[in-house]
This record gives sequence, structure tokens and C-alpha cells, in this order.
Amino acid sequence: MDTLMLLGGGFASALTPENLLWAFVGVVLGTAVGVLPGLGSAMAVALLLPVTFKLDPTGAFIMFTAVYYGGLFGDSTTSILMNTPGNSSAIATAIEGHKMARRGKASQALATSAIGAFIGAVVSTAVVAFFSGVIIDIALRFGPAEYFALAVFAFVATSAVVAQSMVRGLIALTLGLGIAMVGIDAQSGAARFTLGVPSLFEGIGIVTVTVGLLALGEVLHVASRIHRQGPDARPVKTGGTLWLGRGDLRRAIPAWLRGLGFGLPFGTIPAGGSEIPTFLAYGTERKLSQLRARRGKRPDEFGKGAIEGVAAPEAAASATAGTAMGALLGLGLPTSATAAIMLAAFQQYGMQPGPLLFERNADLVWALLASLFIGSVMLLILNLPFAPLWAKLLLIPKRYLYAGITGFAALGVYASSYAITDLWLLILLGLLGFMMRRYAIPVAPVLIAVILGPLAESELRRGLAIGQGDVGVMFTGPITLGIYAVILSAVGIVVVARVRSSRSPAETEEPKTPSTV
Amino acid sequence: MNPLRESAPPVSSGDATGHTPDSWWRGRSELFVGVLVIGIGAFLASQTLTMHVPDTSTGPGPRLFPGLVSGLMVVLGALLVLQVVRRPTTAPQEEGSESADVVDGSVEGSEDTSATAPAEVRGGSEHTGSHSDWRTVGMVLAAVVAFTLLLQPLGWLLSGALLFFGVSWAFGGKRPLFEAAVALVYSAVVQLAFVAGLGLNLPSGILGGLL
Repeated sequence: MDTLMLLGGGFASALTPENLLWAFVGVVLGTAVGVLPGLGSAMAVALLLPVTFKLDPTGAFIMFTAVYYGGLFGDSTTSILMNTPGNSSAIATAIEGHKMARRGKASQALATSAIGAFIGAVVSTAVVAFFSGVIIDIALRFGPAEYFALAVFAFVATSAVVAQSMVRGLIALTLGLGIAMVGIDAQSGAARFTLGVPSLFEGIGIVTVTVGLLALGEVLHVASRIHRQGPDARPVKTGGTLWLGRGDLRRAIPAWLRGLGFGLPFGTIPAGGSEIPTFLAYGTERKLSQLRARRGKRPDEFGKGAIEGVAAPEAAASATAGTAMGALLGLGLPTSATAAIMLAAFQQYGMQPGPLLFERNADLVWALLASLFIGSVMLLILNLPFAPLWAKLLLIPKRYLYAGITGFAALGVYASSYAITDLWLLILLGLLGFMMRRYAIPVAPVLIAVILGPLAESELRRGLAIGQGDVGVMFTGPITLGIYAVILSAVGIVVVARVRSSRSPAETEEPKTPSTV
Repeated sequence: MNPLRESAPPVSSGDATGHTPDSWWRGRSELFVGVLVIGIGAFLASQTLTMHVPDTSTGPGPRLFPGLVSGLMVVLGALLVLQVVRRPTTAPQEEGSESADVVDGSVEGSEDTSATAPAEVRGGSEHTGSHSDWRTVGMVLAAVVAFTLLLQPLGWLLSGALLFFGVSWAFGGKRPLFEAAVALVYSAVVQLAFVAGLGLNLPSGILGGLL
């Protein structure tokens, strides 16, 4: 009952014209960056961060989360119509979705994906709203050892477990930790890695890091191959009504629900986004379909455009967004690149996500959660009938798109500090981002490390100071030990799987992931 | 660009082995990354050792974490070098699709096609074995550097337009006047939206008196 009251209050403040406008701007922007391959919600939020300084924080966060959700709605459109996933979260959708489109069922595929994304978003947001009390209860028991373990978990999960190459993932992690340490150490006052440059005393701004790695790095990466590409794919024509018949619905509904089952838990795990659950959901549907075919119920349609192959991954992808917001708000734990940037945004407004956020900034939190429901409805309306229109965004000449992004990146970095030094840093970080994309070093671990690095360090030092140098204090308590057990078993599974797949490389072909974050 | 392309075994660049004197570097340009990581790690380690630590600090000081991270960096860089030496072109999905695109032969001609012709690039003019189009990357970088140098003297309106123009030109613009007009419209719209609308403080530079 309490939750409903709070949520009601949230709706009251989210339904003001101003906040509705920010939600609308967010969902439009989010869908647009979702549709455009190579651009993602992480980059969009990073570019928005500096120019929204002067906004009221509630409006700004409503916009940021709307961008996040919008990205997960928009990314499937080009997957289905052109076999070009707008984001890594829509690769699984493309496999069956594009085949559906080629069979003349493009409208059904688009509807399945939009409704699936809507179900995922709404259910996961509801789960967060109604279980926020439980999350807070757990979070309040956290001390230095627990927080350090959680940060280590995030580091290991994003860099070693999720990344395709453990060495490359860990290199990304250490680069991020290195960047995070530049500046004056808050606890001792020692200047670290500043080379005596005064403008580095305050550290390297999070805006500079994210914009450099995500925006400028991507522009340079595209520049390095723009003149080498074949002609762009053309979208498949859509026709007929964007609605599902009874037969389609009967197949899609269970798949949506199964997709939810994969997406909801994965949102809370720092696994770098929604890619893994989408592939798990896709794989499960394919196996189920084979099983049904063997029992003679229905021929296996996978490979020819099975509706389940679109429904489950889409619901899984957007279900991660809601629970990722829950982990971010309740625990202060960013589980995707976009959530990491939002954590930086909270810090910029002087707020620390975590259990106390629900007390100190309850108005903002509940308005945000309420606006996520509103945003999901907006996204359904924007994506269901208009999906083919969104695909027309690809007609924007690439040179203007990337010139605009470069201009915006430079503007944002300058506006966040009014220092020319930051523009030089932007160029350096852009080159780093370009190098990382070229050599398949993941970018997400850098962002997670830059944002959680200071927390990990201060909790480690605080814990060690309490224990007076005894390292054992970092490994006490059931929660801490539980987290380390999960880390060890996850790494163990990955190592075993890698060793096996290197022995028989043909058997476990990992699907490819674009460098988008 | 198409990430769904099946990951072809890294035949493309490995095939050339033994044909050119520098062919050992084919598919091993990533060595540079490993060495760079080792270098950064070593640099951070030396900075950590020579760090001035105020006496007031108690408990584990500001050098513990940097020490751990820089040590880890050196180890990881060395591991990467080892991996690349043993198995070149360990980024098959990138290299695979990239070389396939090159083979497809559709080099969209900018004003100078020969500079980007696949044959020349693959012939090993760059000994790091790179397939990247350094010319376009260089032009984009030059535009950003020019913007950084000119922002304060010229102001956003002109330097922003120059940046937009530089990037769109590098990406294959062909009509200088038209592109310049688009660039000016862009910087003007940004100026209006963010300076007038959101209250950002952008330098006005030499046009300061006029605006």
C-alpha cells in the first residue's frame, strides 16, 4: 500500500507538462539513437550530460532514463527491416526478425518486438517499484567490505566474464582505474599522476572520458572505414496492419514471458548490458521450437523467421533496463554502460544513488519510476505504428550525422568545464577509444572502472584502516563471501568454457557483437 | 558493418605471410597496443614510487591502489603481447568483415580514389598491417585539433562551423559551398539553442561585438 501511495505521488509530479516534455524528448532521442547503428543510449546520455547542467535534476533524469528505454525500443527496427542491428542488444532479434520481414511478415515482426519491449519495460519497472523496500534493506547492511566486493564483482563481470577476450577486458579495466586515479587523492591529499598540471588536480572529468571514448572514438572508427564500405542495405518494405493475429499472439505471449525471465535477473548483474540475456532467450526459444517439432506439434520455424525468436529477446532486452535502474537507484551499482553514466550524472547533481537516495530524494526517485511507466507507453505509441518511419533516419547523410556528433562532443566537453585542456584530453581519449574499437577491446569496463574505481579504492582503504592492516577484514560476513563465491564460480565457468571452445572452435561459435555501447 | 556476418577464420591477413619483408607484422599490429599498455603501466608505477605522500595520512596510503593497478597493467600488456605473437589477428570479427568489405571492392571514390585503393593498402605501405583509412582519420583529427586551437580566438560560431565542415568533408562531402553553409547553419542553431535556450557560456571570439 505504501508503495502505491509513493508511486501515486510520483505520477503526480511526472505528469506535469514540463516533465512530460522531457520524457517525450528522451523517448524520441532514445529511439533515434537506437535506430541508428553505431549510436547508443550511452553515447546519447554522455552527450546530453553537459548541456543539461542547468535543468532541474528530476527533468534531466526523466530524460536520461527515457533515452535508455528508448534505445532498447528503437534498436530492433533496423534489425528487422535491414538486418543491421542498431545496437548490440538487438543482434539476437535480427536473426529471426529479418527473416520474418523477408517472408512478408515485417509488420508482425515490428509489432512483436515493440510489444515485447513494452512488456519488458513495464514489468521490470513494476518489479523495481514494488521491491525497492527489499533492495534497500539489503543495501543498508552493506559496509566497506561488501561495497568493495560489489565493485570487484562489477569489475570482474564486465571485464573478464562478459568480454570476449579476458586479457582485453582486463586491460580496459585497468585503463579505466588508471584514469580514475588521476588527481588529488581525497583521503591523503597526495597528487597522483597529475604531472604537475594544475588542471589535472581535480581529475579527468567523467564527461570528457565518456564523450571521448564513446562519441569521438566512434567517429574516428567510422572515419577509418567509411570509404571502404559496400553500399548500404535497403530496408524491406512493410505493408498491412501493424497488429498481431490470434495465432501470432498465442505464440508470442509465452515467448515474451520467458524473455522476461531472462531479462529481469540479468539487469541486476553488472554484465555490461542486455546482450547476454537476449542470446540466452533466443537460444532457449530455438531449443523449445526443436523440441515441439520433435513431438510433432509444430514444424521448427527457426531459420525461416520464427516469431518466438523476435518476441523473447526483445522482452529480455528491455526487462534488463528496468532492473538495471533498480540496481542503480537502490544499490548505487551500475550494471550497464548507460547506467554507469547515469551514476556519474547523479554525482554531478550532488546525489549518491544507494539506499539513502530513497530517503533524501524520494520525490525524484518516485517521479522517475512513474515517468518510466509513462515513457514506456509513449514508446509503444511511437514505435508500433511508426517503426517504418524511424527507419528513414538512416537516410540522413552519414557525414552530417558524424559531423554533428563531433561538434556536439567538443561543445559538451568544453561546456562542462570551460577549459581548453579538456578538449586536448578529449582528443587523446578519442584516439584511445578508436584504438580500443579497432583492436576489439571493450569500452564498457573502462566506464565502469572510472565510475566505480574511486568507490572501490576508498572502501578498500577504509576497510583496511578499520582492520588495521589485516586483509582478512575484507573477506568477512555472509554477503561478502557470497559475492566472492559468485565471482569465482563465474570466472571458473568462463575459463572452462573458453578452454573447451578453443579445443573445438567450430562448436561454440559466439555471435558477434558490434562495438556499440 | 554487419555484425551478423559469420566470423570467418582470420585468413585474410595471414595469407600474405612470406610475401613481403615486413609480413611478420601482418595481423600483429596489436603488439603496439600491448607495448603501449606495458608502457603506461611502467609509467604509472614509476610515478607511484616517486609520489610525494603527505605525512598526515594514516592506514593504507594513496600508493596502494596505484601500485596494484600499474602492476596488473604491466602483466596484462605482456600477456597481450604473448597472445598476439602466438596467434596473430586475434580480432577475427573485426578484421574478417573489414577485409571482406575491402574485397567487395566498392571503394567509394572521394576526390582521390587511388589513395584508398585496397591494393595499395594491402601491399603493405603501412608496416603495421593496418586496414584503416588513415587519411580520413587524420582529417577528422585535424578538424578537432583546429577547433581546439581556434575556439577561444574565433568563437564557437566560426570554429564550430569549421569543425563540422572538416568532419563532413572528410566523410566524403563534395560541394564546398553547400557544406560550408550547412556547417554555419549547424553552429548557429547550436548557439541559439544552447546559449540562448539553456544558458551555456560559449566563447563568442572575434564576432563578440556583433552578437
